[in-house]
This record gives sequence, C-alpha cells and structure tokens, in this order.
Amino acid sequence: METKIINKQDLAKLIDGLISAGARTVAPVKVGQMHLFQEVRSPAEAVFDYFLARRSPKEFLFPQTEPIFSYTRQKDSVKIHPVDMAFPRTVVFGLRPCDAAGPGILDALFAWDYEDKFWFNRREQTAFVSMTCAQADHACFCSSVGLSPDAADTGADLHLTLLDDGQRYFVEAPTGKGKKLVSEFPSLFKPATDSDAAARGSAGEKAKGLITRKLDLSNVKQWLGSHFTDELWERLSAKCIGCGACAFECPTCHCFDFQDEATPEGGVRCKNWDSCCIDNFTLHASGHNPRNIQHKRYRQRIMHKFKYYIDKFGKTLCTGCGRCSRQCPVTLDIAEVLENIAAKAASGS
Amino acid sequence: MKKYFFKSVQISVFRVIRVPYLWLKNMSEQSENKKNESNGEWEPKIIAFVCNWCTYVGADMAGTGRMKYQANVRIIKVPCTGRIDPLFLMRAFERGADGILVSGCHPGDCHYNAGNYHARRRFAAFRKLIEFIGIDLRRLQFSWVSAAEGKKFVTIINEVTDAIRALGPCKEYQSMALEPPKDKVMPE
Amino acid sequence: MSEYDNISNEIRELAAKLLARGEVDVVIGYKPTALPGRTQPAFAYKPEDAREFVFNPLCVSGLPLYLTKAKPEISAKDRIAIVAKGCDVKNIVALQRENQIRREKIKVIGVVCKGVVGKYGRCDGKTEPKPEDLDEKCRYCDVNTPRDYDYLIGEKIESSPQSKEKEFEEINRIEKLSPRERWKFWEEHFKRCIKCYACSKVCPLCYCNRCIVDKTMPRWIDPSSHARGNLAWNIIRAQHLAGRCTGCGECERSCPMDIPLMLLNKKLERESEELFGYRSGYNPHDPIPLAVFREEDDDEFVR
Ligand code: SF4
Ligand code: SF4
Ligand code: SF4
Ligand code: SF4
Ligand code: SF4
Repeated sequence: METKIINKQDLAKLIDGLISAGARTVAPVKVGQMHLFQEVRSPAEAVFDYFLARRSPKEFLFPQTEPIFSYTRQKDSVKIHPVDMAFPRTVVFGLRPCDAAGPGILDALFAWDYEDKFWFNRREQTAFVSMTCAQADHACFCSSVGLSPDAADTGADLHLTLLDDGQRYFVEAPTGKGKKLVSEFPSLFKPATDSDAAARGSAGEKAKGLITRKLDLSNVKQWLGSHFTDELWERLSAKCIGCGACAFECPTCHCFDFQDEATPEGGVRCKNWDSCCIDNFTLHASGHNPRNIQHKRYRQRIMHKFKYYIDKFGKTLCTGCGRCSRQCPVTLDIAEVLENIAAKAASGS
Repeated sequence: MKKYFFKSVQISVFRVIRVPYLWLKNMSEQSENKKNESNGEWEPKIIAFVCNWCTYVGADMAGTGRMKYQANVRIIKVPCTGRIDPLFLMRAFERGADGILVSGCHPGDCHYNAGNYHARRRFAAFRKLIEFIGIDLRRLQFSWVSAAEGKKFVTIINEVTDAIRALGPCKEYQSMALEPPKDKVMPE
Repeated sequence: MSEYDNISNEIRELAAKLLARGEVDVVIGYKPTALPGRTQPAFAYKPEDAREFVFNPLCVSGLPLYLTKAKPEISAKDRIAIVAKGCDVKNIVALQRENQIRREKIKVIGVVCKGVVGKYGRCDGKTEPKPEDLDEKCRYCDVNTPRDYDYLIGEKIESSPQSKEKEFEEINRIEKLSPRERWKFWEEHFKRCIKCYACSKVCPLCYCNRCIVDKTMPRWIDPSSHARGNLAWNIIRAQHLAGRCTGCGECERSCPMDIPLMLLNKKLERESEELFGYRSGYNPHDPIPLAVFREEDDDEFVR
C-alpha cells in the first residue's frame, strides 16, 4: 500500500485544490450540536476533530430523494424526460472506517439483478477519504463486525491517521483512486519514514483501545436461521416506535420506495429512502400487512442485517457504527439485541 | 436541498376539485398570456376558496351586476369553508399562488349551521403558524361575504389584489418548487 | 441510598405487587441500558420482570405513547399500569380527553420528578441534573407532582412559578424578525429534515392509523425530502397538534436532525391559550379547541 505524510496545512490545501478544480468537496461540518457531511466552500468549514457525523455519508451515492425521470402528459401521450446520469466529481473527507465500509457492502446489492446506474455512476465519480477514530462510545461495536477504528482498507480511497504530534497525518492509499488523488497533488504529500509508520501503528492501537463494546456474533446467524418466531422478538422490540431514524442514518440500509410527485400535466418519479421498521413498508394495496405488528418489523431489521444479507451476498449488513442505537428515540440498542441473541444461542435456547 | 421540479409542475391544479381544476389551469395559462401582453409586467396569481352558498353567490351577483374587478383571482368553490383544509392553502402556495383568499358565509349564516365557525378557529391557529414560519399574512386573507354582497366581494378582491401586487411574487414558495437544475433533465 | 434508589425500589415493589395480585396485565416503566446516560422503556408482564425497573433523571422517554392504538402490542392489554412523570400524566389526560384511552382501565403510577436531563445535558443518573443540564421543558415545569395518579411515588413538591418571558424568549425573538428572516430561519432547519417521522411516531397524540403523509389519493404532502416536502410536513405536523400538544418535548428530543420543533409547538400552545382559553393536558373534560367553537370567537382577522 502506498504510504505518505500530509500535514494539516497541506490537507487544507488539498481541499482547497479540489474545490478550485471544481470537485464537489464534502467534509464534516458542525451544525448546532451535531456534525453533518456537507459540501464545503473552504477548508475552514471542515471539522476533523469530531466523533461521528449524525448521518452516514451514503447520501452521496444514494441520496434520500432522487428523481429518476420526469414526464409530461399531452393529449393522448406521455413524454418521458430521462435524467442526466453524469454526476459531479465528489470527494468526501473525514469518514470513519465504519462509514467507509458501507459502500463496499452495498455494491453487491446494487449490482445484483439489475445494475443500478445511479449508484455506480456516482460511485465512479466519488472518492472517500477516511480517518482513524479519535473518539468512540459504548454504542460503537465495529470490531465485532470485522472492522476496526483505524482500518485503512474498509473501503476508503485514502485513509489518514493523525500522528502523535497532532500536526501530521499518515496517509494510506489502498485503492487506485486514492493513488490518483495523491498523484494529482504531488507537492502536498511527503514521503513517510519508518518511524512514521511505527507512529501510525501506535496511533492505531490507541484507537482500537477506544472500543469498549465487544460482541460475539459467531452463533448469531445460525440462531436467526432457526428462530424466526421466538419470544425474544416481542420482548426486546415491542418498544420500537417504527420511525425511520435508525435506517435513515445507517451507512448500510438501502431500502427505497418509488413515489410520483405529479399534477395531471406531468410529474417526477422519485426514489425515496424507506425503512422496514415503518408500519406501511409492507402494507399491501388490499390493506393486508404481513408484518402487522412492530416486533415483526424490527425482526426484519436484524434478520436482514445479520442473516439474509450474509446468505445472499456474504457480508454483514452492519458496520457497527452505533448510529441506530444512539439516535433511537427509545434506545433500542442493536448491540443489546445482538448480545441477547448471542446469549440465547450460547445457552442453546 | 435540491430543487429539481420542472416547469409544468408550477402550472398546476387541484386534482380533487374537478371544476376548479380547469379554472386554475386557465389561470396559469392566462397569466402567462398576460405577461406577454403587458410586456413582461408581473401579475399576481390569487386563489379564492369560497363557499358554495354565500361568497360564491356573492361573486356571481357581482358578475350578473356587471361589476368589474381585477382579473387576477381564480375562484375555487367548495361546499363550505369548513371543508377547507389548511393543506388546500399550502398546495395553492406550492403551485404558484401569490395570495389566497378564503371566504364564506357570515357567522350564523352557514348553510350547514357551524362550518364557518369551525373554519374560523382552524384558520385563526393556522395563520399564526404560517406567519411564524415567515409567510406574510397579507398573502392569506379571510372574509365573510354573503350572497347579497356582490359589492363587498368586488372591494375585497380589488384590495387583496392590490396588496399582493404591492408585495410582489411569493418568492419563498416559488423558490422551493419548480425547475430542475438545467443539466439534470435532458430533453428527449 | 439515594433518593432515586428509593423511588426505583418503590416502583419495583408496587409493580410486582400489582402484577402478582393480577390487578394489571402489564406495567410500563423504565429500565437501564448499556448505553451510558440513557434508560429505555420496559414492560413487565410478570412480577419478576419488575425487578429491572428504575427511575432517575435519565428517564426521558414519554411512556404514554404505548397506551395508544399505535402500539397494539401493549395497548391491547386489558389492564395497564404505567409509570408517569407529571408531563407524561398530561399526555394521559390529553388521550383521555380525546377518548383514546379508558382511564379506569389504567393505573397511573405517578412519580414526583425534579426534572430530567436534556438532549445534550450531562447527568450520571444518581442525582438530579444541574440547572444547565436540565431538559428545556423541565425548566418551566408546573407539574413536578403529577396532577392525576392512582399511586404517587416520592414526596410531593410544589412547582415554583416560572417566568413566561423566559420560557417564550426565543419565540418572542423570532416573532420580532421580518417574515423574510423568519422564513430563512426555518428554511435552514427544515432543509435538514430527513422525513424519518420520528417526531410523529414518538408523539403520544399522533396516534392516527393512517397519517396524512401516507395518504396518496389525493397526495397532499410531497413525500420526498426536499424543501417543499419538508416544509409541508413540518407545518402540518404542528397544525395537527394545535391545541392538543402538551409540550412534552418528545418530538424535538427524538428528532435526529435537531430541528427545534418545540418552537412551533409552543407557539401554537400559546396561541391556543390566548385565542381559545385552553391548555392541553390539564383537564380531561376540556373540549379540544379546534373541534369546538364559540359564537363569540375572535373575528378580527376576517374582513
Ligand atoms: S445497523 Fe446500526 S450499527 Fe449497524 S451500520 Fe446501521 S446504524 Fe450502524
Ligand atoms: S434493515 Fe430494513 S431498512 Fe435496512 S436495508 Fe434491511 S430491510 Fe431495508
Ligand atoms: S429501532 Fe428505534 S430508531 Fe429504529 S425504528 Fe425502532 S424506534 Fe425508530
Ligand atoms: S407534539 Fe411533541 S411536544 Fe407535543 S405532545 Fe407531541 S411529542 Fe409532545
Ligand atoms: S423527527 Fe425531525 S428529521 Fe424526522 S421527520 Fe420529524 S422533523 Fe424531520
């Protein structure tokens, strides 16, 4: 893996350079008490000394609302106006490894029976720059799903680790796109020495030590396979209120719904985020709802993430970012649910 | 947030209310025409939601009496002001109205006894809410016009129209809807 | 033992007793979670389940939402006991007023509350939060001792009267801005809305089987999360709570995008009090302001 050093001023210059080059440059920005990924107009807006953005950066590949075509109605015909599929070059800075892991998990889904051009055209145009975590809380459990707070190779094109001096980032470029980014701004990246590599190693160890939540998920998938009905579901998830807070912030949730916004003369068909926890996610036109009660909806959340997706695509649909637990209005902690399942699986019940 | 609505959404209609739909459509077409005639001068679009039993008859009376009023207003007839959901008003703004008038029977005269009393409470609260959000309340006006008050109808329409003309287009709403970034929607 | 340990113990004992005697089918309360600074709603069906219950300043969730038809898992039970702070009792009163619950089937375990922690406040859950860590609604609370209950836990306290001026400071400030500036203020906030609908799902008074945003024939509110759709949603949510909202603050607390929804709610709360003379959550026999009228209602805004 190509390694380099970039100091803080040069990182700002990199951002500046990308903005001048006309790239949509995105970084964590402080909004009220939270941080959100937003397009920045100057490096000063970006905040890298932060914990985790409230919303995952998936919206830069899979926006919450996306028009897929528009149409106008004439007397006896309908004209379809396709959407331009050329998307702007985008560079997203400041992701955490759990954020960066999302797109790689979702590629398989969006390429499955139909190749989603909206996703892949954007993906091609987008580079992600992740950073080693400096903070974590008890909702984080990335190391239990095979990631780590300092992992460079979870999906980012560049990964930065702030070294002890607090001024220089150790740069790793795990992908071709990352290497290209480095070669585009050669003067900003300095060579890394062996002692820098050692310092990066110890910074990584420190970051790993931040993770306090360790789950044993080894038996979870198997248990899920044989416990579609179990008392656990109602016991743990009857309190779920069925909002979209968890899915909409999750880096891996990808459900959407098509909606027309129209007048009799024409309209736009939009793809909008949706969530399996919302009651009318499975509501049929007849009025029948196969997931007729909340714990069945929440069960889908766990089943999809920790069983179905693994069965189908070989990956866990969760990066352990903990957003869903943190933002859940009723503190339905996904790690707690998994702990309960693991305990049940271990005790053979 | 992205703005990607295209032109025809602005030229818009109320789907559920059949007859008024045509009127509204005419309105947008007409006001386009008007723009051209008067050399690009902006003309306000005003929607009047009126009840079937009083204000509509009052408006009719103004018409049969050949009283003239400014032609910026398009009337949507509903059974009763009690039928007017705040959603109707929001839709009208969303679809390009610069001003709205809600008008019904005087208190005590409601054809359904109490519809206008209910409406009065609903809108007393609603207007405070949208004022708080930043809509100038001159854009949302209310009146009682009886079947005999053709003259009052004319006065109110003229006054409301003048007020909206002075205020200018309802840019707040209009900035939210409408056209997509040009590069986003390709011609066929 | 701290004051909150005592309260927690009393709740546990009472809940276990009610369940053991078969007086109720379920008790709704709070229990700890592994996440620091939080608690979570909990349901006890058997006396031993009640052992988990706690009460402390981290018990922020409003539990009355589980009494409504929106939560049939719990509300379909015949006899329910519920742990309720003063503000939660206001929601119970409002539900009773709207004929959504049968009060005689519900046992309210009222808890005297000295305030819960705010969304960004700090509190260890053992002692009451410092004034700056209190939730906004608790600063102006007039129901520290619940106004209606079947059992009361904790020593009764008097709420000290609070300055309305301070309570409505921010609202007054916004009112003084020009329409353009107000619009900008709200545009900035609403543009963040992700239409997760947590604000309505968490509200005990948003119990409709089918929310207006889910209706498609006709479709009144654009479902997409763009400026227009977000604005329509936020206006209508507030309007539908006009005269009904009790100010429990759950919607704002739950909003993952930190939209100051309480400004809208409190604005309408004040208008409804000034215009119609009612405050929601105080009297189950009050009418619902927007469902009734007086002939002499204010006419001034109508020409
Ligand atoms: S399920 Fe929760 S913890 Fe897992 S990736 Fe999604 S938001 Fe993060
Ligand atoms: S967990 Fe639910 S919302 Fe998320 S991707 Fe799976 S089905 Fe969709
Ligand atoms: S788990 Fe929490 S955030 Fe997710 S739908 Fe349920 S209540 Fe909402
Ligand atoms: S609108 Fe908000 S503050 Fe009012 S009752 Fe509902 S959740 Fe509570
Ligand atoms: S909770 Fe907040 S983000 Fe979610 S729909 Fe309500 S206002 Fe929007």
